[in-house]
Amino acid sequence: MSERITRAQIPISELTITPGSACQGCGAALAARLSFKALGPNVIRHGIPCCPDSVTQTPRVGTVFEGGGAQLTGTARALKAIGREDVLAVGFYGDGGTYDIGFQGLSAAAERNENIIVITKDNEAYMNTGNQRSGATPKYARTSTNPIGPRSRGKPRPKKNIPFIFAAHYVPYVGTASVGFPEDLIAKVTYMKTIKGFRMLIVQSPCPVGWRFDPAKTIEIARSSVQSGIWPLYEILDGKTFKLNYKPKELKPVTEYLSPQARFRHMTEDEIADIQETATANWENLLKADEMGRLTL
Amino acid sequence: MIEIRLHGRGGQGAVTASRIIATAAYEEGKYSQAIPMYGTERRGAPLTAFVRIDDVRVRERELVHNPEISIVLDPLIAKQQAVVDSLKPGGLVLLNTAYPPEEVKIGGDFKVATVDATTIALETLGRPITNTAILGAFAKITGLLKVESLEKAIKKFFPGRLGDMNIAAVKRSYDEVKGPIQAVVKDAPPEKVDIHVGGYGVLKDVSSWRVYTPEIDVEKCIGCKNCWIFCPETAIQWDEEKNKPWIRYDACKGCGVCANECPVNAIEMVRVEV
Ligand SMILES: Cc1ncc(C[n+]2csc(CCOP(=O)(O)OP(=O)(O)O)c2C)c(N)n1
Ligand code: SF4
Ligand code: SF4
Ligand code: SF4
Ligand SMILES: [Mg+2]
Repeated sequence: MSERITRAQIPISELTITPGSACQGCGAALAARLSFKALGPNVIRHGIPCCPDSVTQTPRVGTVFEGGGAQLTGTARALKAIGREDVLAVGFYGDGGTYDIGFQGLSAAAERNENIIVITKDNEAYMNTGNQRSGATPKYARTSTNPIGPRSRGKPRPKKNIPFIFAAHYVPYVGTASVGFPEDLIAKVTYMKTIKGFRMLIVQSPCPVGWRFDPAKTIEIARSSVQSGIWPLYEILDGKTFKLNYKPKELKPVTEYLSPQARFRHMTEDEIADIQETATANWENLLKADEMGRLTL
Repeated sequence: MIEIRLHGRGGQGAVTASRIIATAAYEEGKYSQAIPMYGTERRGAPLTAFVRIDDVRVRERELVHNPEISIVLDPLIAKQQAVVDSLKPGGLVLLNTAYPPEEVKIGGDFKVATVDATTIALETLGRPITNTAILGAFAKITGLLKVESLEKAIKKFFPGRLGDMNIAAVKRSYDEVKGPIQAVVKDAPPEKVDIHVGGYGVLKDVSSWRVYTPEIDVEKCIGCKNCWIFCPETAIQWDEEKNKPWIRYDACKGCGVCANECPVNAIEMVRVEV
């Protein structure tokens, strides 16, 4: 399990080279900055197609969406063969590349328990190509492929529960994080470095362009997502040990998260109530799992 | 046939402006066409769009190479000689700038008109989206479109209150445009455009992306490090000796995250003229 750290313990040194080419207020650019800050320089960064987030001072290799899991596997095994397992094979991918197009390769790598780290900057759609819905897009969100009209209320299906799907591969580590909680994110990446095998961190990364909000609100929105139980922060070890890392006494209403985002602006009271019920029920389940310290998958 | 080229950056709505012009022309019974030129459409990246208007059917299916009119939505791009590149002799350029046409530095054989579309957009829409805030000026100086047809077209793109706000922006720019006058500078040297604002990877300097610039009041600052840890661009640097932040302005895109996250309001976003 990750160990809580304070702001003062966050290293000052950076691994990003700036300015990068992401949009103003890009959550994913911050997710990259924070993740690589914690990973440190001893990393080979692997990429697949996605938005430009932050450029890092690391060697970088890339491949097609479908090849992510295989390429990481190859690097990790080659590093083992030459006796350099101190170097980390890290995939920094989008949600499209993790939840959907790259999924089978990553699932296979997880099932084989390859010695790799996958960090997903989850901006909840295919943003680089213009905000098409992905498996990570939440229910009711408006995207360029889920317009709002008499016969379409945004995305009709809920967000895929990818952390649980990967946890059900019984891999050493799966965690969720948010750019609104940098200490938690950095603590989790730091912990992932101390263990071996398949490790995955999904980082919710608000996108001002696709989610349609004022870029100044990126952190505010990331934070309210966690505080309202929409995006809880937790970690799952070996598919069974469970811990919630952030437990407010009371959840904020989901409207605090939904209303600043124009992608949810069309929602009716009933639709909002649907999201509220789902978030509350999910939170109660997670609280129970946290109390027992374990999950049954 | 009238051919128009629009210059802007991702987020300013140049592509929408081209479609509004084409739609408004269609409303007046003309034939029209809007063509976006797609590249990396990241917010802030430069882009162009084109419009053709004619009384007969437009058969051309290529980009516009020699426009009569160039419309520039961005104040920084409005300083580049490239916006009048391959403009037809005697053509017209409409610039978004606070300066009057007499003080425009780009030059050649064309007419110049200016309008402070950024200020109009900020005051009518609350956001620096300059596309509709330049269209009123376009209608007035070219006489190509009636304001009423622009209004009709805008209502198609922006229904409801948003439409009304955009129409208000059109009306203000109709009233406030200055010029056109013959360009004061006669022979401006051609230049290689290199404004380092687009594309993938590391950029040189993104100062020109900002409409608002963060300024830190170090006296007020309590050293909480919020601005530093949350800046997506690593533009805020930490001075460990003083326990205070400072800003690398070449890397700051003016998103406003730092100001929004400062618990004591020690950071103010200030509009700095470019
Ligand atoms: C097999 C395949 N399909 C589609 C594309 C086009 N494409 C490039 S980037 C991208 C979006 C990726 O979305 P995501 O992984 O969520 O990353 P984001 O852009 O949101 O950062 C797509 C669809 C591609 N390169 N390969
Ligand atoms: S589209 Fe969204 S995720 Fe992509 S660079 Fe822009 S803000 Fe970031
Ligand atoms: S405005 Fe945005 S980019 Fe500029 S220093 Fe603040 S947080 Fe960083
Ligand atoms: S957020 Fe405000 S108080 Fe905190 S370090 Fe930055 S300027 Fe100082
Ligand atoms: Mg995505």
